[in-house]
Amino acid sequence: MLGLGRQELMSALCHIFDQDKVRDDQTTLQSHGCDTTKAYTAAPQAVVFPTTTEQVQALVLLANAHQLSLVPSGGRTGLSGGAVASNNEIVVSFDYMNAIGDVNTIDQTVTVQPGAITQLVQQAAEHAGLYYPVDFASSGSSHIGGNIATNAGGIKVIRYGMTRDWVLGLKVVTGTGAILNLNKGLIKNNTGYDFRHLFIGSEGTLGFIVEATLGLTQPPNNLTAVVLGISSMDGIMNVLQTFQNSITLTAFEFFSESGLSLVTQHGLNRPFEAKAPFYVLLEYEQTADADALVMAAFEQCMENAWVVDGVISQNETQLQTLWALRENLSETCAAYTPYKNDISVKVSDVPTFLAEIDAVIAVGYPDFAIVWWGHIGDGNLHLNILKPEHLTKTDFFDACKRVNKDVFDIVERFGGSVSAEHGVGLLKKEYLHHTRSAADIALMHGVKAVFDPQGIMNPGKMLP
Amino acid sequence: MKILVAVKRVIDYNVKVRVKSDQSDVDLSNVKMAMNPFCEIAVEEAVRLKEKGGVDEIIVVSVGEAKSEEQIRSAMALGADRGILVTTDGPASSLTVAKTLKAIVEKEQPGLVIMGKQAIDTDNNQTGQMLSALTGMAQGVFASEITIDGDKLTVIREIDGGLQTLSLKMPAVVTADLRLNEPRYAKLPDIMKAKRKPLDKLTLADLGVEARQTVKAVKVAAPADRKAGIKVADVAALVDKLKNEAKVL
Repeated sequence: MLGLGRQELMSALCHIFDQDKVRDDQTTLQSHGCDTTKAYTAAPQAVVFPTTTEQVQALVLLANAHQLSLVPSGGRTGLSGGAVASNNEIVVSFDYMNAIGDVNTIDQTVTVQPGAITQLVQQAAEHAGLYYPVDFASSGSSHIGGNIATNAGGIKVIRYGMTRDWVLGLKVVTGTGAILNLNKGLIKNNTGYDFRHLFIGSEGTLGFIVEATLGLTQPPNNLTAVVLGISSMDGIMNVLQTFQNSITLTAFEFFSESGLSLVTQHGLNRPFEAKAPFYVLLEYEQTADADALVMAAFEQCMENAWVVDGVISQNETQLQTLWALRENLSETCAAYTPYKNDISVKVSDVPTFLAEIDAVIAVGYPDFAIVWWGHIGDGNLHLNILKPEHLTKTDFFDACKRVNKDVFDIVERFGGSVSAEHGVGLLKKEYLHHTRSAADIALMHGVKAVFDPQGIMNPGKMLP
Repeated sequence: MKILVAVKRVIDYNVKVRVKSDQSDVDLSNVKMAMNPFCEIAVEEAVRLKEKGGVDEIIVVSVGEAKSEEQIRSAMALGADRGILVTTDGPASSLTVAKTLKAIVEKEQPGLVIMGKQAIDTDNNQTGQMLSALTGMAQGVFASEITIDGDKLTVIREIDGGLQTLSLKMPAVVTADLRLNEPRYAKLPDIMKAKRKPLDKLTLADLGVEARQTVKAVKVAAPADRKAGIKVADVAALVDKLKNEAKVL
C-alpha cells in the first residue's frame, strides 16, 4: 500500500479503532470481503468495525493521507459485487453501528445507524404501530445502510416506492472526511441541491452513510393475496390494468410456469391444477368493498380469457404460503447455478420486451432453461437461466456473457435499465452505457470527484 | 349420505394476540378473523370424501355471531353445498354448541359429522365428544386418516407414541387432527358460486336450545415478558451467577 507498510497500517488502524474491531484473520477477510455475488474473490487487507462517526471520519482522513482504498460493507446480500473487496482494500463493516432509535410517532420517523438490519427496523416500527414498507427476501440480513446505498426496491414498490422514497435524513462522511447532515428529517425543504439523493444509490462511491432518518407510515390491514394463472404475456398487462383500475394494489408479482414447477418440486403445493405459461400474485388490503371489486375484476379477466384460474388467501397462513410460491424462487433456483439478471423497462413494454429476449435465447441457446419472475407492476423482470447439466460452470458463464450482450442490446433498444434494483457494482459497470449516456457517465465522474477527489471510496465500482 | 361439518369463526392463527387492558378477554377489535384451522381441515376432508363418491351433500354449520356467515361462505367456496348459520347472543359454550348441533343432526340425519378437534381460541377440545354423548353416535377423535366402507368408518387416530385404528359404525362423529389433510385454496370462481349457494339463518330459539353459560372466564393474562439475558465477564462470574443467583449448581 502506498505510503504505509503493513505494520504501520495496522497500528494506525488500531489507533483509530478498538483493538478487537480491527481484523486481518482469513475468516473475517473472506466473510466480509464479498457479498452474495459469487463471481469474485475476496482479498481485502483488513476489516474494521467502526462504532462511532468520528472513527469513520478519522479513517477517511487516514485513507486520504496514505491513498488507502475503502469498501463499505453492510449485510452483504448484494447481487452486483458492490461490496466486494478483491484488491487489497480496507473493508469498513457497519456490523457494530446498528442502533435503532426510538420511533417518533408524531413525525412518523425512526433514526437508525447504517448497520441496523432491515427486518429489525420493520419490527421496531411495528411495535410503535407503524410500518416501514421497503421489504424483500433478504430483509432478515440486509442493512439499512446498504439498502440506501443501493436504493433497494423489493416486493412492495408498486404501492410504496423504493428506499429513496423513505429516506428523510442522512448523516454522511464524504470521501474528503466532511460530515454532512442532509435534509435533517424534514418533509419539505426546498433549499437548493438535495445531496441526500446523490448518496442514495451511490453504492459507497461518494462517502459513508453513518446515520439515516427513515419515514414510516400506517401499516396495511388484512393483506390478501390472489394468485392467477395467465394464458399469455399480453394477458398480464390487461390483468394489471383491470385490477389497478379497480383497487390499490400492494404487490403485483409474476413468475413463469418453469418457476412454479421448480418451487413445487421443493415442497410447495400448486395453487390450482390448471397450468398456465405465467402466474401473477397480486396483493391488496381486504375490505368488503375491495373484495367485491376484486371479484368483479376477476370476472372481467375470466370473460376475456386472460386468466385460466385463480385462488385467494382466506387467512394469514395462506397469505404466507401463496407468497412462498414467489419468494422461494430465488433460493430454489440457487441450486441450479443460475445466471441472474435484473432488468427493467416501462411497464407497458414488458410483453414485447420479454418475448424478444425469449426468442433470442431460444435461437442462440436452445438448451438453456429460462425462469422468469419479477415485480411486473414496476416493469422489473428477473431473468434466470439454469445451467444445463452438460455444461461446466466456466463454459456456462462464458455463454452467459454473450447472452448479456444480447439482452442488454434489447434493454437499450427499449430504453430500459440494465439494473433495476440490484445496483451496478462490479457486475454491471461495463454495461452501464446501455442505460446511461456518455454525457451522463461523464457527469457522474464529475460528481464523484467533488465528494471523493482522491478516489478512496469504493474504487472500481459502478463507474466504468 | 350427507356429511355435516361444523366450523367456527376465530381469531386468525397468525395474528399476534393482545389482551384487553382490563384483562377480561382477548382484544378482538380490528383483528383479522378466519375459520378455525382444524375446521378448515374438517371441511377439506368432507370435500375429499365427496369427490371420492358416495356422499350426496355437504352441509356446513356455524354457531356464533352473524359474521360467521363469512366462514360458512368460505366452506361453501371449498365445496360445501349449503349452509346453516345459528346466531347466538355472545359467545356460546361448548355444550350449547353441541346441543345446537344435536338439534341439526336430528333434522338433517347426516351419516357423518366432521369437525375440528378443537378451536384455537378457547382450546376446549370437547364439542365433538359432547355431541357424540348427546346423540349416541360413535366417536373417532384426533383423526389423521378416515375411510368410508359401506356403513363402516375406519378412523386412524394419533395417540401418544403411535397410531390407533378404530372401526366405527355410522352415523359417527369425527374430529380432525392436524395431519388429516392439507386444505386447498379457495378458487375465485368457486367463491362467486358460493354466494349463490343456499344458507339458512336460524337462532338458538328456533332449534329449541337454551344457551347456558356454566363457566365464567375470570381473568385473561398475557405470558410474562422474558427477561433480557446478560453477559458475564468470565467463567468465574458465570459459575458465581449459576450458584448464587440461578441456584442450579
